[in-house]
Order: sequence, then C-alpha cells, then structure tokens
Amino acid sequence: MTQLTHIIELFQLPFMQRALIGGVLTGLMGGMLGSFTILRQLSFFSDALGHSALLGISIGLLLGLNPSVVVLPFAVLFALGVNYLLEHTRLWTDALLNIIYSSSLAIAIITLSFVGRYKGGLHNLLFGDILAVQELDLVFSGGLLIVCTVFIGLTLRTQMLMTLNEPLAIARGVAVSAHRTAFIVLLSLVVGISIKAIGVLLVSAFIVIPACAARFLSRTFAHYVVLSAGLGALSAVLGMVISAGFNLPSGPSIVATQLAIFLTAIALPNLRLPVHE
Amino acid sequence: MRCGLKEPVLAVERLTVYRGTYAAVQDVSFSLEAGTDTAIVGPNGAGKSTLVQAILGILPRQTGNIVILGQALGHKGALMPLIRQQIAYLPQNFLFDRRIPMTVEELVGLGWDRLGFQMPWVDRQARRAAIQSALMRVDATHLKRQLISGLSGGETKRVLLAYCLVYPRRLLILDEAPAGLDMRSESEFYDLLYQLKQEQGWAILQISHDLDMVRRHSDRVLCLNQTLLCQGTPEIALSPENLSTAYGSEFVRYRHRH
Repeated sequence: MTQLTHIIELFQLPFMQRALIGGVLTGLMGGMLGSFTILRQLSFFSDALGHSALLGISIGLLLGLNPSVVVLPFAVLFALGVNYLLEHTRLWTDALLNIIYSSSLAIAIITLSFVGRYKGGLHNLLFGDILAVQELDLVFSGGLLIVCTVFIGLTLRTQMLMTLNEPLAIARGVAVSAHRTAFIVLLSLVVGISIKAIGVLLVSAFIVIPACAARFLSRTFAHYVVLSAGLGALSAVLGMVISAGFNLPSGPSIVATQLAIFLTAIALPNLRLPVHE
Repeated sequence: MRCGLKEPVLAVERLTVYRGTYAAVQDVSFSLEAGTDTAIVGPNGAGKSTLVQAILGILPRQTGNIVILGQALGHKGALMPLIRQQIAYLPQNFLFDRRIPMTVEELVGLGWDRLGFQMPWVDRQARRAAIQSALMRVDATHLKRQLISGLSGGETKRVLLAYCLVYPRRLLILDEAPAGLDMRSESEFYDLLYQLKQEQGWAILQISHDLDMVRRHSDRVLCLNQTLLCQGTPEIALSPENLSTAYGSEFVRYRHRH
C-alpha cells in the first residue's frame, strides 16, 4: 500500500509526468515503425542507427553545440549514407552494419575523450535519462508521432505490399526506392529523438521487442501494426511504474517489461485451445 | 493479324532489354488488342520473363517504346496510377516471408487499392464486396480469414489470381500462372481466363510452357528466343517449322513422338 502511494506521489512530480509521456510517445512510435522494421529485416539497422547517434552527440559536444539539436540531422544523414552503402556494395547486410556500428561507437568514444568532462556522462548517453526529458522534447516527439501516424496511415496498403513482395509493388507503380528512403528517414528520426531518454544501447529494443510480441498475438496485419504500437506504449507505462516503485533505472525497466510482454506473448497462443480454421 | 481501328491495349515497339552485358530481349515489337489471349512461348532463358518485367517497368529497358492503354511507359517505369490500376501481374515465383502476419482477405484487398496516399478505410464497403466476389470467382472464400503463411502452393496461386481479379482490369500479365495447380484447378483457371477475356474484354498476355494449352486457349502466339521469331495464330506459330526455329529441331522431334 505504501508502495502504491509512493508511486502515486512520484507521478505527481512534473519530471515524472514528462518522463511518462515521453515513454508513451516513444513506445507508440517505436512500436508502429517497428512492426514494419522487423518484417523488412531492418532490426539490426535500427541498432546501428542507435550506436551512430552517439557519434552525432559526441561530434556536437566537440563543436560546442547542443547535442539534442545535432543528433537529428546527423541521424538522418547517417541513415541515408548507410542505406546508400547497403544498396551499392556487395557485402552482407549484417556484416556491413556491424562494421558501421562498432566503428561509429569507437570513433564516438575517442571523440568524447577530447571533450573532457561531459556533465551528463557516458553512462547517461549509453542508457539514457528519461527523467531529464524536457517539455520541448515532448513537443518534438508528439510532432513526430503525428507525422509517423499520418504517413503510415495514408500509405498503409503500399507499405503492406512492399513488405510482402517488392516486384509486385513495382508492377503496381509503387516508387519502392523512394518509399524505402522515406521509411528509413522516419526510423532514424524516431531513433534520434528517443536517444536522450533511452540511450544508444537500448533504443532498438523499443523498435524490435513490442513488434515481435505483437507478431505472436495478431491474426491480421492491421491488428499487428496497432497492437505493436499499443504494446510499446503499455510497456513504457508499466516499466515507468516499476521503475518508480522499486527505484530502478527507468530505460532498462521499460526494456525488461517489453521482454516480459514478449515472453507472455510467446506463451499465450500455446495456452489457447486449438481453434479450427 | 487483326489490325482494327481500336487502340491496342499494349503496344511494344523495338524493345531491347539488357541483363548485365547481354541483350536478353532484342528488338521485339508486338501489340495486344482487347479481348484477346496472347501466349509467349520459347525455351528456358529465351527472355520471356525479362520481356514481361520490362513491360511492367520492373526491369529497365535499353531502347524501344512501350505504350499501355495509350500512355507511354516512362523510362524509369513511370505510368499514371489510373493506368497502373488497369494492369494486373501474376509473377512466376511469388516468394514471400511466411512470417508476415497477413490474411488472404488483406492480400486480395491490396489488389483493389490505388496505392497512392489514401485513408485506410476509404470505400470500405465497395472494397469488401470486391474482395468477396474475387474470392468467389477463384473458389477461395473459405480461405478469407486465413493467414497467407498457411496456404499451399495451389491455394497461393488462386489467392494471387483473386488479387488480380479484385479490380476490373484491362490487361492481365501472367508468368507461368497455372504452374502448381492440379488438373481440375488448371482447367477452371483457363475457363476463368476465357470468361474475363470474352465477357469483360480483358487483354491477356501469358508466358506458357504448356504448348497444348496454348493451342487450345490462345488467340495468338509470340515465339521468343531473345528476338521475336514468329507471331500469329497457334496453328501458324506452333507449326513444326516455327517450333524448331524457337526450340531447336530436337525438341520438335520429341514433341511429335509423344
């Protein structure tokens, strides 16, 4: 009981409310884009984007710029560059992405060593600080959520066909390459905007885990996309409550909650009685 | 050759398509009229799939013009969405990731959409009715709510055909469409194509290896082996002389023995 009042008291604090709203917005965006990301086998791509964001932040710090301002354009340019490499080299995708993310991490750490003492510290960059979310961050996240929802909503059928079979989409006149680029730009913006709260190491969990859980629970594609976004938001709320109640780090608490939801999703269909189709 | 005053559904002029450094299709010209069924025959590697993929804008072309329903296909495969919606394509190998959670109903519905920017719920009733009747035509209404991951090869073909039929088209391009269907489904499939051609005036362009079926069902035949070797009615195009030019004389002797 005391635990509950403690949690309720905590969520009356403005910074906790901001953190909660920020978590929900990130969960919704991550889940929505994540549903397509995993089917198009771009999960590792989102991971590489997360790691590269650290490079963007460290370059910003070195130049004396606000890291939050630098990280978004950097993430977009980086994503477009990586996409170009993926389309124009003959390397295996996962090998190329590995080169990119480990080297950007290494260069980022070296760059940070020139910056001297960064007040947030490396720990916060790696694991995020959801409690440091400002109102302006929420405005950006909210705006991006609207952009993502409108884009995915209006092009849902095109996205579905592209995900299913690209030649079929081209035969129907879909500009596959342009659509792919647009999606990657959105994905990089979501990753870039979420970095501050969740950190470079855990951000891809928001993209990948709720979507995988939703995959197990969905019978149609439309439900799958909505459920993926919903599970992203749900895990953010539960994770924040757990983090507040037990005084645990918030980003990792949310990811642990995502894992719990994922494991439940795997177990659930097996518990159901077999339904005749 | 029939040469009416009507504008052809598809006109291909001096088309050359490269695959890597060699010309897979060279200097091919032909045209299709509404309400006709044209078969493309030729040995493996003759460029049949390359030809239809270039017509659809999936593969880029080196030279030549492609005019579909009066509109020229742009060099990068651009075509007005309204024209695009009049064309359906059934690929030879339809490979998809079986982990994608999509129902038969959802897949067929994708054939109905114009695929521009649109509200997901636009014309919901009409869309639903179109899906239902397309599934009925291919005898697959029972599969409606099933995930596509659970379909057999033959069922997948039928569902893809429903994807093509769900919207009234004017040009249907099939790459080895009946492959994977059993005898009964195959004859139903040809009956359906005949209906579409006769009643709705669709122009059908299909790649086929089954020369007996081509003889029975097609109005015109294009013999392709990199270049267009002959075209005409099945009796003319599939005469032993023409076949030996397309497939080699060994093939014709084999066919005559059986």
